[in-house]
Amino acid sequence: MGKLRDKLRQYMKPGYYEKYDYHWTMTIDLDRCTGCEACVVACQAENNLPIVGEKHFSQGREIKWLRIERYWEGTYPDVKLSFIPMLCQQCDQAPCETPCPVSATYHNQDGLNTQIYNRCIGTRTCAVYCPYEVRYFNWFTYEWDEPLEQQLNPDVTVREKGVMEKCTFCIQRIRQAKDKAKDENRRRLRDGDITPACVQSCPTEAMLFGDSNDPDSRVSKMAKNSRAYKVLEKLNTLPSIVYLKKVT
Amino acid sequence: MEKNMMALFHYEDDFIAAATKLKESGFDRMCCMSPIAIHEVQKVAGLGKSPVRRFSLIGAILGGLSGFALATICALVFILPTGGRAIIAVPPFLVIAYEMTILFGVLATLLGFHIVSGLPAWHDKPYRVETNIDRFSLVLGFGPDDDPSLAEEIMRAAGAEEITELEKPE
Amino acid sequence: MAEYREPSYAEVNRDILRTLLETGPRYWILLGFTSTIAVVCFFVPWMYQLNVGVGASGMNRNAVWGTYLSNFIFWIGLSHSGTLLSAVLHITQSSWRKAIYRSAEAMTLFSLMTAGCFVMVHLGRVWFVHWSVPIPNEMGLWPNFRSPLLFDVMAIATYLTASSIFIYMGSVPDYAAVRDASTGMRRRLYTIFSFGWRGTEREWHTLGWAYTFFAVFVIPLAVSVHSIVSWDFAMSLVPGMHHTIFAPYFVCGAIFSGTAGIVTLMYLLRRFMKLERYIGEIHLDNLGKLLLVLSLIWSYINILELFTGWYSGSSFEYEALKFKLFGYYAPLYWEMILFCAFVPLLMFWKKIRLNWNIMLVIAILINIGMFTERFIIIATSLPRKFLPDAFGFYFPSMVEISITVGSFAIFTTLFLIFIKWTPCVSIYEVKETLQPLRRRAV
Repeated sequence: MGKLRDKLRQYMKPGYYEKYDYHWTMTIDLDRCTGCEACVVACQAENNLPIVGEKHFSQGREIKWLRIERYWEGTYPDVKLSFIPMLCQQCDQAPCETPCPVSATYHNQDGLNTQIYNRCIGTRTCAVYCPYEVRYFNWFTYEWDEPLEQQLNPDVTVREKGVMEKCTFCIQRIRQAKDKAKDENRRRLRDGDITPACVQSCPTEAMLFGDSNDPDSRVSKMAKNSRAYKVLEKLNTLPSIVYLKKVT
Repeated sequence: MEKNMMALFHYEDDFIAAATKLKESGFDRMCCMSPIAIHEVQKVAGLGKSPVRRFSLIGAILGGLSGFALATICALVFILPTGGRAIIAVPPFLVIAYEMTILFGVLATLLGFHIVSGLPAWHDKPYRVETNIDRFSLVLGFGPDDDPSLAEEIMRAAGAEEITELEKPE
Repeated sequence: MAEYREPSYAEVNRDILRTLLETGPRYWILLGFTSTIAVVCFFVPWMYQLNVGVGASGMNRNAVWGTYLSNFIFWIGLSHSGTLLSAVLHITQSSWRKAIYRSAEAMTLFSLMTAGCFVMVHLGRVWFVHWSVPIPNEMGLWPNFRSPLLFDVMAIATYLTASSIFIYMGSVPDYAAVRDASTGMRRRLYTIFSFGWRGTEREWHTLGWAYTFFAVFVIPLAVSVHSIVSWDFAMSLVPGMHHTIFAPYFVCGAIFSGTAGIVTLMYLLRRFMKLERYIGEIHLDNLGKLLLVLSLIWSYINILELFTGWYSGSSFEYEALKFKLFGYYAPLYWEMILFCAFVPLLMFWKKIRLNWNIMLVIAILINIGMFTERFIIIATSLPRKFLPDAFGFYFPSMVEISITVGSFAIFTTLFLIFIKWTPCVSIYEVKETLQPLRRRAV
């Protein structure tokens, strides 16, 4: 009886999880970001992002899981430019997960907002509900011209038309690191075991990735920085990406 | 051979008067056909509150419970937490329960209608086409103690246009 | 105008059945025309889109929802008036409902079917649409009932079922009338449709009770369906859509556009089916008053939206309002305000309310305005969400415009088929409004 009551309590608990297995978090230091877009290219290469083409890009149909947003103030020559890499914030209270009618997106035990491509029927409600506009839809089945299809990552699926996609924190790398740790009979992943493609390619090391459940990880320490903030925090989506405000 | 009697009336009040008189005189097996619903005749025939309402109520209650059960079971079979919400989220599931209440209520009422009214009726029953246009008809079935001539007299007195004797169908 | 003489019962049967049993060449030409347009303008572009991808539409990263969904909302809205009005007026025992409710309910049913088509067109992978329905499957996966779209699925399925049953049950005595007046194949068919109805007191009694219960169930259903549809929008975080007023707004707008649809329909039926004796000024007057009240409520809600948007002080709300009122689609917004808030005010005057031609024009303008309103909700809210770098723009493509036109053709085709299948005016209910056939006058 007590077990039933506990189970019921768990089912009625908002968010279901008491604690995440690993709470994957990323920090992005905007002081260090130069806006070079190496991360964008790396993401495209790692995750088999389709090459949409100039025409569709101009129609607003680009597929860029990680984009550099640019804001400028003033007029030439006193222009002040700031940019911010914007990717899926893997919100703990993700507004995009609830409206999916077929549960093609849900929150897994690692605190990641996952997208299941085979389940998606393309209602695109998740993209409407996302305040960060980080969800991208495959308007057509895109193809890679020869020989670009040889560059595709075999660890990542290729999506067909009608399917929604977004940044996954390189879940294939997370999975591989977990498998490696299991093979080495380690039970926990160590800080630095996993680097997503964007973090790996950043020349100024503006991006850090790790487990914020671990108090000794770099991201946990960086998140305590006085410059730390989260984008659109007051919407209460509880994003997992901590930005460090640019002060220089 | 047992016979039925069918009388055709031109006017509604004649029809109601005849039905009332016949009922008082003890003729129970009466069928009153009309082109529109006539409440006085329904009262004479002893039809008060329809049993259809029980079907509706049971259907609605079942629907409410099944709606909530459907949503809960679907959520529990394969647990996929979404958006920081509970697995058994009461407000959305209440909406589902509400819709199912109405759905099952409507379907149960439909079932109730068919059961209570006896439709669809595929067997040949006494019927005149005029009844669906602008005439009213009374069909009487006679038991062993009933006197057909008394019935005929009552109906003629009330103003029947035409009285025919019909073969009783099998 | 000739003096109005009440028709006799026999004349009612004859006049109304004539609309069903006699068909002229004009009808066949019109039916052929609308079905051709439906195929060419709806199904052919849809096939192209299924082949190529949803990119055939004009939607993009911002505006992932476009005219497919705004049309869906429009058709669901149009469906609201018929059944809801019929049910409410049945409960309040009003007599002016009797002549018009059958066609109004038919309008509901076919609008729902047309809206269903739009769900299919909208989906990215429509061949998996059955995953959103809770049926047992080999994957052991069930839909996510926490989603507003699932409320939608349940609500619309229920509404479709309830509307079909409501209109069918109400038509059973009329199917008996058609059966009696026809021969051959038609007679056999209608014997089945009418369930062998004879009009006994037991049958009338049961039908009356069942019909009243259907009406009682349908009223809260209709209110909930469009509220649920509005929650597809209102449960998002989008500044232009995340308003609690959306549920009453949509329900009011739905009844508004649906009633305008009924007025249009009544005009056409009266004119082309020669039903002047049955659909008269009392209907037009009452529908006009209803339209006026709904227009006032609708205007009030719009003023509220503007006010709360401004009063909120939220920069996101300001931006959304600014784009709505002064952006690219500003002409559409102001046209909507003109047609839905100002034009209906003409109906304060009884002379206008009783004039068929002017009321037809007003009703069509109202529907144009409401159609625009649905489009504006999507096209001006989605491109202005939170992050300014992510702002965008949406314009429908030729495929979308063609499919919109095709949907009107689908609705018209379905309605044309309906008027030859069920008497478009309820025979027995009209008889109930006439003087009862009594020897001594009542």
